[in-house]
Amino acid sequence: MPIPQERLRNFSIIAHIDHGKSTLADRLLETTHTIEARLMTSQVLDSMDLEREKGITIKARAVRLDYLARDGLTYGLNLIDTPGHVDFSYEVSRSLQACEGAILVVDAAQGIEAQTLANVHLALREGLTIIPVVNKIDLPSAQPDAVIEELENVLAIPREEVLLASAKEGIGIDAILEAIVARIPSPKGDPHGPLQGLIFDSHYDAYKGVVVYVRLASGTLHAHDTIRLMASGVESDLLELGVFRPQLVPVQALTAGEVGYVATGLKSVRDAQVGDTLTNAKAPATIPLPGYKEAKSLVFAGIYPLSGDDYPLLRDAIERLHLNDGSFTYQPESSVALGFGFRCGFLGLLHMEIVQERLEREFSLDLIASAPSVQYRVVLIGNRGTLSVDNPAFFPNAGEIEAIEEPWVSLAVITPATYIGPLLELSTSRRGTFIGLEYLDPSRVLIRFELPLAELIIDYFDQLKSRSQGYASMDYEEIGYRPANLVKLDIMVAGEPVDALSLIVHRDRAASTGRQLTERLKALIPRQMFEVPIQAAIGSNVVARETVRAMRKNVLAKCYGGDISRKKKLLEKQKEGKQRMKRVGSVEIPQEAFLAVLRMDDGAAR
Amino acid sequence: MSTAEGLPLPEPALGLYVHLPFCVSICPYCDFVVYAGADARGPRNRIDLLVDALIVEIGLRAEAGGADPAGRPLSTIYLGGGTPSLLPAAALLRILGAIRAAFGIAPGAEITLEANPGPDERGDPGAQAEAGITRISFGAQSFAPAELKRLGRRHSPADIGLALSAARDAGIPSINLDLLYDVPGQTLGSWADSLDRAIALGPEHLSLYALTLDDPEAEGLTGPGGDHLPPTAGARRWRERAQPEQDDDRAAAMYHLAAHRLREAGFHGYELANWALPGHESRHNLGYWERRSIEAVGPGAHAFDGQVRRWNAARLDGYVAALLPGSGGPPSLPPGGEEILDAASASAESLILGLRLDRGVPLTTLLEPQFMDAFDWAVAAGLLEETDDARVRLTTRGRLLSNELFARLI
Repeated sequence: MPIPQERLRNFSIIAHIDHGKSTLADRLLETTHTIEARLMTSQVLDSMDLEREKGITIKARAVRLDYLARDGLTYGLNLIDTPGHVDFSYEVSRSLQACEGAILVVDAAQGIEAQTLANVHLALREGLTIIPVVNKIDLPSAQPDAVIEELENVLAIPREEVLLASAKEGIGIDAILEAIVARIPSPKGDPHGPLQGLIFDSHYDAYKGVVVYVRLASGTLHAHDTIRLMASGVESDLLELGVFRPQLVPVQALTAGEVGYVATGLKSVRDAQVGDTLTNAKAPATIPLPGYKEAKSLVFAGIYPLSGDDYPLLRDAIERLHLNDGSFTYQPESSVALGFGFRCGFLGLLHMEIVQERLEREFSLDLIASAPSVQYRVVLIGNRGTLSVDNPAFFPNAGEIEAIEEPWVSLAVITPATYIGPLLELSTSRRGTFIGLEYLDPSRVLIRFELPLAELIIDYFDQLKSRSQGYASMDYEEIGYRPANLVKLDIMVAGEPVDALSLIVHRDRAASTGRQLTERLKALIPRQMFEVPIQAAIGSNVVARETVRAMRKNVLAKCYGGDISRKKKLLEKQKEGKQRMKRVGSVEIPQEAFLAVLRMDDGAAR
Repeated sequence: MSTAEGLPLPEPALGLYVHLPFCVSICPYCDFVVYAGADARGPRNRIDLLVDALIVEIGLRAEAGGADPAGRPLSTIYLGGGTPSLLPAAALLRILGAIRAAFGIAPGAEITLEANPGPDERGDPGAQAEAGITRISFGAQSFAPAELKRLGRRHSPADIGLALSAARDAGIPSINLDLLYDVPGQTLGSWADSLDRAIALGPEHLSLYALTLDDPEAEGLTGPGGDHLPPTAGARRWRERAQPEQDDDRAAAMYHLAAHRLREAGFHGYELANWALPGHESRHNLGYWERRSIEAVGPGAHAFDGQVRRWNAARLDGYVAALLPGSGGPPSLPPGGEEILDAASASAESLILGLRLDRGVPLTTLLEPQFMDAFDWAVAAGLLEETDDARVRLTTRGRLLSNELFARLI
């Protein structure tokens, strides 16, 4: 039974992590009987194991709720779920573009956090109607009045608009549903106009091919239409059309303003890119909808299989995962230390972690990532142009460099005032600039910094959490490139540079970082038949040096009757170990040594 | 009977190893098959039971082809352990009697008995000599009281001298002392002192072993058919504590020091870990390095017939049950395992064992294509040297780094 356009509502839920977004979504599904109570799992929309474990939404999802409102009419509500982490603000903005309204969830005990601010700004930029909800009012530590005050002071949200709820206890859910109906405008768009549907997400299905998620801006799409993707020009007889409940449920038609899915049967996600406009091949629209700007990779790292034999598996896995998550980039690269792998670009550090974990879990691979890097701009001397370099191994020689620029971000940190000192110190130690400080209420402040992205991607977030006992939250936004006093630090083993261990550091920190790396390597490289110098160098200038002393003894065991077979087995094991070693010049280094250096979560060194 | 190409035919053994797995107490670093405590001493000890079983195995092994069909008798016998010197004279006589009956013992055969120097462990050297023992190998290990204590040894430094002179008085013509280096708490000074005191006692032979702390369980050797027993929890803890106190550099210095002092004292380092006065090399042990056939009996014992390496399982119960079936049925050979060597691993083995000896191996054996790379590498790295008589041997540096070469040969 189709619902007329004026009774459709498209909305998102936006919230800082852990403020109860997924629980609220669960309650909305339950209250509207979209999912029967007995089939409810928590965080229904977070279907990936990884999402449930981390308590975050990684991939946007959509679900259609039919709601019988107090006015006696049934409304079609499309809830478009959004990822909750700063890395995915690009996906958030995409989801928001498919909506007319957003429910802003704020924790009654925590108040406004950094991502609350960021998400509200994104929603306002899209011109969405915001329904503010103070959630978790059942908590003993809840201070709903203070939070309402904060919303008014910081975000200029009138207190009378604020709804109180406890998603966990089911309190205030009806009022939220009524507010969605009453406050959020219905979508516009002519059902009889030329077909225009914006692809806001997609996934790949082995049977249905690329399944695109669309929001129709105009026209009506029927189950047996032939579609055309306007940017790629590809046409296809669509296999299936439907809505999310939240599993895919086929329907006969979707009209302007509606949100649904289209199984295209296409085999390549490249043919149906997110941001493209879907139209009817027989009566195509003349102009596409404004799409999205391309997701921009901020963090880069090499991803390698632990065992070189797994490279073909990794290649296959990356290609397949990319069908589901087009927001990372990849290209083949190789390294002496790590063999063959891929240089990948990610939206942020969490995104990198998630891609690596998904590759490992969904494709049963053991992987190692090189140290994350940002993309530098290197201005070459003599007007020879500018290079973009995201892999320290490809940095030009110091003599060829006129100047280096690195990306900076503006950072918003919200914290209880008690932690101002330690957090200022953290940012200063990371080459940050203090911009300003603003009290949200007598006990909580918003601090703004600017700092190099490279400093942020090390372990800034962990440090922020540990220095504020978990209370501070942060959000950041890229603000462009600035000149940087950076150098490439090479690590050399017996005079040979080890590509995977090169890194870009601030000149003032090169020597101390070099010392840490050489010390660490010294402990990890087994003794060789000869002395092995380990050096950290900027160009030809050695800034740190350690020496692995020569091996003096390799077991003089007794060897009688019973020892011969046993000793042979031990020798065979040693031989296998030697065969697995990576050779840097004449030095044999176990791969574990590289891995241990790369894995070290020591921000001071990386 | 024909064999696969390149494999030698099995050879009758002219040496026999007998494993006697009893000790008064267990030293925490030791990996040998040992039963201690009530099994070894007191009213419920299992020594006689083991000797009964051994005698049955000696007969079965001789019948199964261990003895020379041409009737050549054994020229070496090695009673190892454990602490074979714990055995009463009567037991020793029974074992040697059974060996003589089954295999024959050549006139002038070398018959070694392993012994501990402690007064409650060393047994009666007079009776041992009378039973036919010609060589006693004492587990002296150290002359530093603190090191002996740490190693869990029951004897004092003075006991070593007493044990050695008692053996001498009993007319034992060849005496060995085992010493350990790279022991936790040991210094270069204490090692030099142990060496000097050992030399001063006038033994004909010295075996110097770097303390090696391995885990036979991790190596997969302690299963039901395995040739090792799992280390006790206490031994494990001891090894974990001791390992960080070991030091390869110090150990290398100790080896150099020993090689120097023993050469000055007239000893010849004829094998990586063994020094002897001329004519007192262990003939039995030379058999292992020369890959001669050696028969073996007792729990955990290893035999080689020129083709197959065979071993008995370590566990005493299974051993006794097979050889002394209670039901009166016929005895069977005890459980165990074997490794049949192919030509490639036999030639690698032969090189590795041969290079342990000071006389080394013929140059031609290393010129085989599969060894050429390792040979060139080892000469370049200063591990191998050629001698005037077209042989190749390890340098002193090569001895200390021998595993680096051996792992490339295998």
